[in-house]
Amino acid sequence: MTKHEIEITVNGRKRRLTVKPNDLLLNVIREDLVLTGTKYGCGIGECAACTVLMEGKPVLACMILAVAAHGKNITTIEGLADGDKLAPVQQAFIDHGAIQCGFCTPGMVLTSHALLNENPDPSEEEIRDYLRGNYCRCTGYTAIVKAVQSCAKKNQ
Amino acid sequence: MKNFSFVNVENKADALEVLHREKEKSCLVAGATNVMPFIRYEKINDKTLINIRNLQELRFIREEEDKIEIGPLTTIYDLENSEIIEKYAPALREAAQDFADPTTRNSATIGGNIANASPAADTATPLLALNAVVVAESKSGVRKIPIQEFFLGVNKTALQCDELITVIEVPKNAANSNSCFIKLGLRNAMAISVVSVAAGVELAEGKVAHANVALGSVAPTPVRAKTVEAALVGKEFTPGLVEETAKLVTEDISPIDDVRASGEYRKTVAAVLVKRALKKSGKI
Repeated sequence: MTKHEIEITVNGRKRRLTVKPNDLLLNVIREDLVLTGTKYGCGIGECAACTVLMEGKPVLACMILAVAAHGKNITTIEGLADGDKLAPVQQAFIDHGAIQCGFCTPGMVLTSHALLNENPDPSEEEIRDYLRGNYCRCTGYTAIVKAVQSCAKKNQ
Repeated sequence: MKNFSFVNVENKADALEVLHREKEKSCLVAGATNVMPFIRYEKINDKTLINIRNLQELRFIREEEDKIEIGPLTTIYDLENSEIIEKYAPALREAAQDFADPTTRNSATIGGNIANASPAADTATPLLALNAVVVAESKSGVRKIPIQEFFLGVNKTALQCDELITVIEVPKNAANSNSCFIKLGLRNAMAISVVSVAAGVELAEGKVAHANVALGSVAPTPVRAKTVEAALVGKEFTPGLVEETAKLVTEDISPIDDVRASGEYRKTVAAVLVKRALKKSGKI
């Protein structure tokens, strides 16, 4: 397989990498860039534990080849906080006990963050609908929904 | 992982050139939301992936005088949020709302969905009911494929190996503007449909002038319920008529038993969904 040179911007930093055509963006993020916040869950696009933001929109890193991400802007969970200052949705997850084992959390937080950017005042139904692809086996989703609700404009 | 090579193209001309060169080895990818699982399950191997994700020229929703034109790289998210689609092809919008999950909809495209041609493809059933036309281009030229001739079997379409879908046309008419879509799945997200129905009726003085009814997941391809349609046209549109004619759908479908449901169940529930879709489209 011919290797490809790609350039991706991850959390604001331009990274140049050499990858094989069959390298997944997920594995490149976790192994080459050592950003292990993005999780390998099912690997086939069903659980959304691998969610990252590409040009601000949530996508599944296990379903994107690294070569297809060339030239794109990626935000992983590590890129959400501003130094030590957590993003509001991150703090809300902590405050509402919306984290148990934590495996779904990076994907949940990024997807919630994208939702609030698109729709700053979502209803409970809108939150549940937007997060419907992100699977959690621990929490039963209630605390997660409450955490996102607390970030809605009307509750600020 | 599996074996393939990868080529990135930045414009349509380059895409057609690579398609012409690679022929049967060609495998177009944009969102790759079907291609990636297929590669990982080794249903696709030793292909040349042609990345057309960046071809912005193929991502559009345009209104013309007698039709709307949808670019193949229009994402499902775009379909969900388009005023043109809401007005002239609401069945497509409803399908987009039930499609996978919001994250997948950012990447999945309408072109990819129909080219992959799963009998359960959520945009295929509406497009069949809407009498869409698929415009395909290769280095040799352009041709128009009516949607009724587009799906040939499970994951099989009328596209040649060197062809690229460039436009999906949907005619403007009353039945299409009244269209609706119902999907039955085993869960609220990421569900492959058990049965899906798209219906569009046009009424003139209380009688059925036009009726289009299509179903997915009940045959090797999405199908039109021709028996139901024929029984509706010219009749007074009442709940009684809908009840009677919906039952006839069993003549038009051939569902199988699979992991999601039995053929018997699909036959029963198809009639229920057709009834609901007709009522919704005809507003009774």
